[in-house]
Amino acid sequence: MIVDKMEQSLRPVETPMVPYPPKYITMATGEKLVIRQIAREEVPHILEAVKPLMTVEADFYDIVASRIYSELLGYYRFRVKDEYCLIGTIGGVLVGIVNGRMVDDKVGMSYHTMTLKQGLRIGAQLFAAKMEYHLDFLNQEEVLIVAESPNGFKRWMIEYELESRPETWHELGGVPTYVLTKALWEKHKATKLGGRRPVSEELLKTCENPTLPETYAQIPGYKR
Amino acid sequence: MEQMYAYKCTECGQLHHPKHYVCKSCVNRKFEEVPLEGEVTLVTYTKVYNLPEGYMKPYLGFGVVKFENGLVVSGQLEVENPEIGMKLMSTVGVVKEGIGKDYYGFIFK
Amino acid sequence: MREVGIVGIGHTKFGKMSGGTFTDLLSMAATAALDDAGVKTGIGHGIDQVFVSTMGAGILNKQSGIASALVDYLNLRPAMAETIENGPASGASAIKLGYMAIASGMCDSVLVVGGEMMRVVSGWEGTDFVATMLHPEAEYNYGLTLPAFAGLFTKLCMEKYGITEKDLSIVAVKNHENAVHNPVAHIHVVPDLYCITEDEDAHIMNPYVAEPLRMYHCCPVSDGAAAVLLCAMDKADKYTKKPVKIAGIGQATDTHSVAEREVPTDLLAVRLSAQMAYKMAGLTPEDIDVAELHDAFQILEIVESEEVGFFKRGEGHIAARNGDTKIGGKIPINTSGGLKAKGHPLGATGVSQVVEIVKQLRGEATGRQVEGAKAGLTVNFGGFGNNVVALILTKEEA
Repeated sequence: MIVDKMEQSLRPVETPMVPYPPKYITMATGEKLVIRQIAREEVPHILEAVKPLMTVEADFYDIVASRIYSELLGYYRFRVKDEYCLIGTIGGVLVGIVNGRMVDDKVGMSYHTMTLKQGLRIGAQLFAAKMEYHLDFLNQEEVLIVAESPNGFKRWMIEYELESRPETWHELGGVPTYVLTKALWEKHKATKLGGRRPVSEELLKTCENPTLPETYAQIPGYKR
Repeated sequence: MEQMYAYKCTECGQLHHPKHYVCKSCVNRKFEEVPLEGEVTLVTYTKVYNLPEGYMKPYLGFGVVKFENGLVVSGQLEVENPEIGMKLMSTVGVVKEGIGKDYYGFIFK
Repeated sequence: MREVGIVGIGHTKFGKMSGGTFTDLLSMAATAALDDAGVKTGIGHGIDQVFVSTMGAGILNKQSGIASALVDYLNLRPAMAETIENGPASGASAIKLGYMAIASGMCDSVLVVGGEMMRVVSGWEGTDFVATMLHPEAEYNYGLTLPAFAGLFTKLCMEKYGITEKDLSIVAVKNHENAVHNPVAHIHVVPDLYCITEDEDAHIMNPYVAEPLRMYHCCPVSDGAAAVLLCAMDKADKYTKKPVKIAGIGQATDTHSVAEREVPTDLLAVRLSAQMAYKMAGLTPEDIDVAELHDAFQILEIVESEEVGFFKRGEGHIAARNGDTKIGGKIPINTSGGLKAKGHPLGATGVSQVVEIVKQLRGEATGRQVEGAKAGLTVNFGGFGNNVVALILTKEEA
């Protein structure tokens, strides 16, 4: 696309953000879950994995997938300031997506967590990775979080004992905002955050071009 | 403060908690309420992370304790580092928030 | 008393049912059992009685009188029908009652179908539903749950007998490995022992559920149904397959509130029900070739294996460490994958355990067969051990 003066004026000024260093987590089955940040150019590929879930009502997949789709599109088309996206892959296959953005240097805004492969605590690990990015790497002080599903509420609001801050508006609107402060993160990190670094060359290579899932347990009968 | 009771058989004196309809030791069906309180010994404990619907906490501590009168009961536990055999105090507090009323029970500290 | 045998078995794939009603789920297992026995529905079906075992039909699925609904749905009118509820032991209880119906002479043929459609509610609503079997004032109102009691029990057993978290994981891995060969099992993925015990990330990927029990020490929540067709042994000729005999039945109750148990590390009801079943069958623990022991929490498999007499008290975990309970070992336990890997739709479990033993005794347990199995034991554990039913099945010689 032509980046002329008009386009330039529509694009946000990007704050330099230190990249998320990839890590791997050993699953209960022995498989390795690799979590890494994606580059902007990868968004169209990732969107293909999100698309099929946009109409699945069960477990609130429809709203989460639809919102992730628009958020990632916003990132891709340079219309959202300071957004990032982390993905999880097992054996090179995409299993989960998380995203968020920086509001300013102190405050992060968590967007979404979507697990493509359920039942292995992948969502919990991707969410923790996202919090790790905000609080340990971007050195922010707190992250604003909302939940759209009861499961999300349990896993984050209850398990991390998030601070209720309804007077602060979250971009995703509607529901009351909760906050993960540095203090809460330090309290719960040990039992919530997993993973080791660095990721070996050969393991990184497997997720260079993530394979999109062929089938989705959430969509019986679907085949890509 | 709410009070917890043991149920004492009016014939043979056998203590019960919780209530039974018929005495565990004889055939009597009448009981008198006797306050159940005081020092307890911790028999076993756990910390539960997957709570049932309605409990909005990350975890709850539970314990089984033995009163000096021999009764063994279960209840919530508010102890940082529990150890089997430790002495605790039995208190009474809200163990479940209900709609229209709260439920009181043992909280061992 | 007349002798009673099993001539037909049916079992759905446990897991998450996608689409269909609870009666559909029960029907899938029921018709499979009828087909297995060569029985046709409709006029002349010959089924005298239908028992449906389920704990949640009323609470979770808002359906009462489901046995009556099923009889009509399957075109088995005017068979007698009742719904049986004994918590997680509903299945074995229903089989016991089917046995009694035939042994008494009142019926010649009884269809027992057990099922549960639990995944229609969220995880914590499910936990709450299961907790309704606890003592209302002394336990339920505290937020106590089955996993909570399992955790309390496990802590005590660890203190007394030296059982470790790793022992529980060893049993879990064995059950998952067995389930790989069971097409109807809920979970076919096998956890790696090192990854769930000693790996750096193990404490995160295998977190505590109710200390000291971890995620991989507890069974999943499953939908599913299983069915067996019981018949009088002296009328078994008209069915396709030779009957497997129900040789022994035992049942015992214990205190409702767990804190009131005589010996907190004992599962007295398991011991008493097993003894009663052995006595009726004229057998001893040494005669049992294969067993399905209710392992909703892996600690239960260990303690039950002791209480039924396979191992001395306090040595069950040592036997598991030595591989004695694997297929090919001294006494294979939970060849089906157990509740841990096969899944645990509450009302179906007791029937599912019997289906597995029948398969073993018939020689149909492909990939997980215990060679030459002639006698099998099931233990179906209700509440937290306050109502237990044990069944012994034997293969009849030609």
